[in-house]
Amino acid sequence: MDTSPSKKLVEMRDIVKSFPGVLANDHVNFTLYRGEIHALLGENGAGKTTLMNILYGLYRPDEGKILVRGKPVKIGSPADALHLGIGMVHQHFKLIPPHTVVENVILGLKSPRFKLDVGRAAHEISDLASRYGWKINPFARIWQLSAGEKQMVEILKVLYHGADILILDEPTSVLTPQETRGLFESLKKMREEGKGIVFITHKLEEVFAVGNRVTVMRKGRVVATMSMEKATREELARLMVGRPVLFRLEKESVEPGRPVLQLEDVHALGEKGVPALRGITLIVREREVLGIAGVTGNGQLELAEVATGLRKVTHGRVVVDGVDVTNKGPRAFIEKGIAYIPAERQREGLVIGMNVAENLVLRYYRYEPFSRRAVINWRMVDENAEKLVRKFEIVTPNVRETTRHLSGGNQQKVVVARELGGRPGGKTPRLVVAMYPTRGLDVGATEYVRKTLLRYREMGSAIFLVSEDLEEIFQLSDRIAVIFEGQIMGVVRPSETSYEEVGLMMAGAKRLEEIPA
Amino acid sequence: MVTRWVSVAVSIGAVLLAVFVTAMLFWAIGRDPIEAYAVIVHVFVDPGLLGESMARGVPIVLATLGLIVAFRMNFWNIGAEGQIYLGMFAATGVVLWGAASHMLPPALMMPTMVVTAFSVGGIWGLIPAFLRAKLQVNEVLTTLMMNYIAMLFVDYLVYGPWKDPHGHGFPLTIPFPDYALIPLIPGTTITSGVIACVVVAILVYYVLSRTKLGYEIRVVGESASAARYAGISYMQVALLGMLISAGLAGLGGLSIVSGIIGRLRPRASPGYGYTAIIVAFLSELNPWIAVPAGLIFGGLVTAGEALQAALRIPFSGIQVFQALIFLFVITGEFLKRYSLEVSWGRR
Amino acid sequence: MGAEVVAVGVEWLGAFLSSTVQAGTVLLLAALGETYAERSGILNLGVEGMMIVGAAFSYLITLATGNDLLAILVAMGMATLLALIHAVISISFRLNQIVSGLAITLFGLGLSGYLTFPDVRVGILRAINPSLPMSMAYRQSTPKLPDISIPLLSQIPVIGPAFFRQNAIIYASYVLTVLLWWFLFKTRPGLNIRSVGENPAMADSLGINVYLIRYVATLLGGALAGLAGAFLFIGYQPFWVEGMTAGRGFVALALVIFAAWSPLRVMAGAYLFGGVEALQFRLQVLGYGTTAPQFLLMLPYVTTIIVLVALSYEMIRKKIGVPAALAIPYAREE
Repeated sequence: MDTSPSKKLVEMRDIVKSFPGVLANDHVNFTLYRGEIHALLGENGAGKTTLMNILYGLYRPDEGKILVRGKPVKIGSPADALHLGIGMVHQHFKLIPPHTVVENVILGLKSPRFKLDVGRAAHEISDLASRYGWKINPFARIWQLSAGEKQMVEILKVLYHGADILILDEPTSVLTPQETRGLFESLKKMREEGKGIVFITHKLEEVFAVGNRVTVMRKGRVVATMSMEKATREELARLMVGRPVLFRLEKESVEPGRPVLQLEDVHALGEKGVPALRGITLIVREREVLGIAGVTGNGQLELAEVATGLRKVTHGRVVVDGVDVTNKGPRAFIEKGIAYIPAERQREGLVIGMNVAENLVLRYYRYEPFSRRAVINWRMVDENAEKLVRKFEIVTPNVRETTRHLSGGNQQKVVVARELGGRPGGKTPRLVVAMYPTRGLDVGATEYVRKTLLRYREMGSAIFLVSEDLEEIFQLSDRIAVIFEGQIMGVVRPSETSYEEVGLMMAGAKRLEEIPA
Repeated sequence: MVTRWVSVAVSIGAVLLAVFVTAMLFWAIGRDPIEAYAVIVHVFVDPGLLGESMARGVPIVLATLGLIVAFRMNFWNIGAEGQIYLGMFAATGVVLWGAASHMLPPALMMPTMVVTAFSVGGIWGLIPAFLRAKLQVNEVLTTLMMNYIAMLFVDYLVYGPWKDPHGHGFPLTIPFPDYALIPLIPGTTITSGVIACVVVAILVYYVLSRTKLGYEIRVVGESASAARYAGISYMQVALLGMLISAGLAGLGGLSIVSGIIGRLRPRASPGYGYTAIIVAFLSELNPWIAVPAGLIFGGLVTAGEALQAALRIPFSGIQVFQALIFLFVITGEFLKRYSLEVSWGRR
Repeated sequence: MGAEVVAVGVEWLGAFLSSTVQAGTVLLLAALGETYAERSGILNLGVEGMMIVGAAFSYLITLATGNDLLAILVAMGMATLLALIHAVISISFRLNQIVSGLAITLFGLGLSGYLTFPDVRVGILRAINPSLPMSMAYRQSTPKLPDISIPLLSQIPVIGPAFFRQNAIIYASYVLTVLLWWFLFKTRPGLNIRSVGENPAMADSLGINVYLIRYVATLLGGALAGLAGAFLFIGYQPFWVEGMTAGRGFVALALVIFAAWSPLRVMAGAYLFGGVEALQFRLQVLGYGTTAPQFLLMLPYVTTIIVLVALSYEMIRKKIGVPAALAIPYAREE
């Protein structure tokens, strides 16, 4: 590959971008050459998408410079980016379902300015498609297309707008293996034509399948850039997940007890009605933390919702303490003592417009002593709140403070306090399903949440921990189950495995044949 | 609490601005605004006019209290007007049936009317609630369309089967017997419907703040996903909430036929159901404020008539006044939000 | 004998169709405008208020000046002003569109009554035209817009007179329907409007000015609601009655949904709903007035609810294309 300076399409220098509480890009350098497919590899939250969103004009960098074809540029919007020949295909399609393929492709073009010549555009789109071995009906409406076809339209749109710099964000996540192969062939063709392609992914095999070069990102920084000839799977996996310094949490070794939650060959649908869980069998026992490792979007949310009764299963059984509660509805699960710390605390776990005391009974208000018959006993609700605020060290002026006004860490403490200590009668939960429980929290609050989860493990609860943070999974879990595309790739013990092995399973590159219970 | 203070100030400012703009409108047609406002104030002082005002305020208050329940659960019930018509239909139905069959003792007349008006109004409100909960059908449009259906249905009855055979062909039902009318508070000119308003306000307040249903209504209204997480059934809450909401509007309908007109006629509600939306917003969904605010809006109707009679100011002037209050109050929402952001910024 | 019956029948049918077109045109004009507003994502419950203000001003101006064109323009302008209020509240302030629209309807109803109240009216008329005789100022009706027969086309039996012996606004509505359909589906600005109503964030990212498009569409909606009101008065029922729109603005709103946001279907639906109104009127004339014309008048509302229910099914909604961002304020974010 020709890496002479004249072939540089894009050069990003010392890019810094921070969001409240997170440094998403920390002095990142990135170069894209004409005629290369450059894989951008990293875990969720590594900063890959942020970096490319900056190049596409969706975010403005705090610091740093961008050069396109050697010229420094300011990219204020995607319209600017397209003007510079930069196009991006997002993970979530940005197409208008009721409109036709042509209408979607030509949206935002400057010409023709007034009267559209749909027939001509359709012709050109068909020609463009056939150049890459695709077939598409330009007059089909987007909602009629498969996911693979929609992606094709996204790419055609970018090309039709004249882009020769293509950014694809996790493009294979919606494709079948056959479609994936087809996409790779087309991308190679574009590379031969001299286009530059950035391919964002967390799947190792794909990097090897199409990449010329690879840049690995971790925690907002570039940890390596190399050509594929020099790369090995093991090394990339190691670079991707890193070797973090573990600050050991004191974790007592306790013997797991009886099974609390048993999932038997569970299948369930995701938000859009597509299968999200495809035959999951898992057991969580008393005094045990089962960690679920995986890249976000592989079925974790659905798994947590199945375990808490919020999502119906289409096949299989859910058993809690020996009782079949399959599709019995969330109240049955609450009554069985299943606590749930959801991922979206502000939207789901809390009613931020209501006060702390009201939030501390959100899942228990309907039981004694908080209410009797139809009437709520606010004295008991307030007493409960006072007790939990003290016990869980929630910082709030008083229990009648609106939850919106609390800090993020204290909001999460409200959720944790209710779910762990809020059961009527002071009973400990049988099972705690914790989804990304420390996401977005500062160090102190993170440590607090982790310690509290371990304390309840020692008190006899079963803990079901879903996290995208491998460090957290390794520290807390007694066993780790790795989920990939709705299936369990293997269950391992943290002491008997490595980041590399778990990383390979997360990327779908390795599957353990025997799954130890 | 900066925001609470701002909120009250903005509402008062909105009303004052409406008062001022309306004064300009009076002045523009050569009327003395001071004199006009004196006429309006007089309505609330003169016993006879006050009685009339309160009678008109009652349906507004009842419908507003109902709307508060619906709006608290973020259900956009624009259908109070239609639910009022259904209440009038039900109440009148009971009277006509009682008069024809003689099967209802006079003492049981009013209780039966109350129960029927509440139920029929409520059931009418269940339709959009069910459609929304089951099929996500937009309740704004369904409730709006159902207003006209209800109004036309009442038209049909009074032009057709329910027309008073001795009414010289006018589209009116027979006049209600005395025992089917809402009595005055003894020794005053004021309808006892006002007492009902206060009782209902207490009940609404109680349900919203003290019961499980009220808690559920507020959770659903704040965040549908949190409600799901809490194991709250949207269907159940929407149906119960709308039964109450529309049922109260139905009672408002009863208070029109039994408290103002004494019979049923076409277009018996001059848009009380829409006025109630204004009052609900103005009172910030607070049942305590809704009672006086609704009664005052009832008084404005009387004031409109008085203005026309005394000063030849068109009755519509009062409608403009009400609409301006509404416009300014909702626009004030922007100021509130802005000041909220500012006060947050300082933290 | 038989021929006579047929002749009477044909004449009745002709008159019925003719009034169907007239009643339908009121709805058509208002619904065309609302189609554009909703296509861009703005729900406007203020149509009723804008129509009645349009009707009131067309009454005042024709009475004062006798100039129909001026009356129409002023009516459209005033309704557009109301639409501007709605646009500011719902687009710039990002407040609730439902409430804003309702407030505007109530305001329009009040204002139109206020301005046309005899005392007030006389003052306004005298201010516009000082030489207007007093007797004129108290009139409630003005000459109806004259019908123009289109040669040849108006000779077609039954249909000819119904569609081609009408006044200028009706002819304009034919052109407008086709023009607005063409503009919405065949031009780039039209595509932009539709895209803004579906996915404003994406349209914005492609350099399309979401706010501008929504403002223009909402104001156009107001102008056409004003035209509908003007037509109602000078082209259809030139006798001023307070509140004469009688809920037609809400029927127009229903019509937009019934027609699933397409100008051509709006036209068909308008004549259907207009036919209901005309039929009701004809039946009354024939002495069937007492037998429940109300159920006939309910039809537009009932069918709209049925359409709303049908649209709740994902499959149907996708096929028809409900503007996905309807009634959702758009705020640009980093």
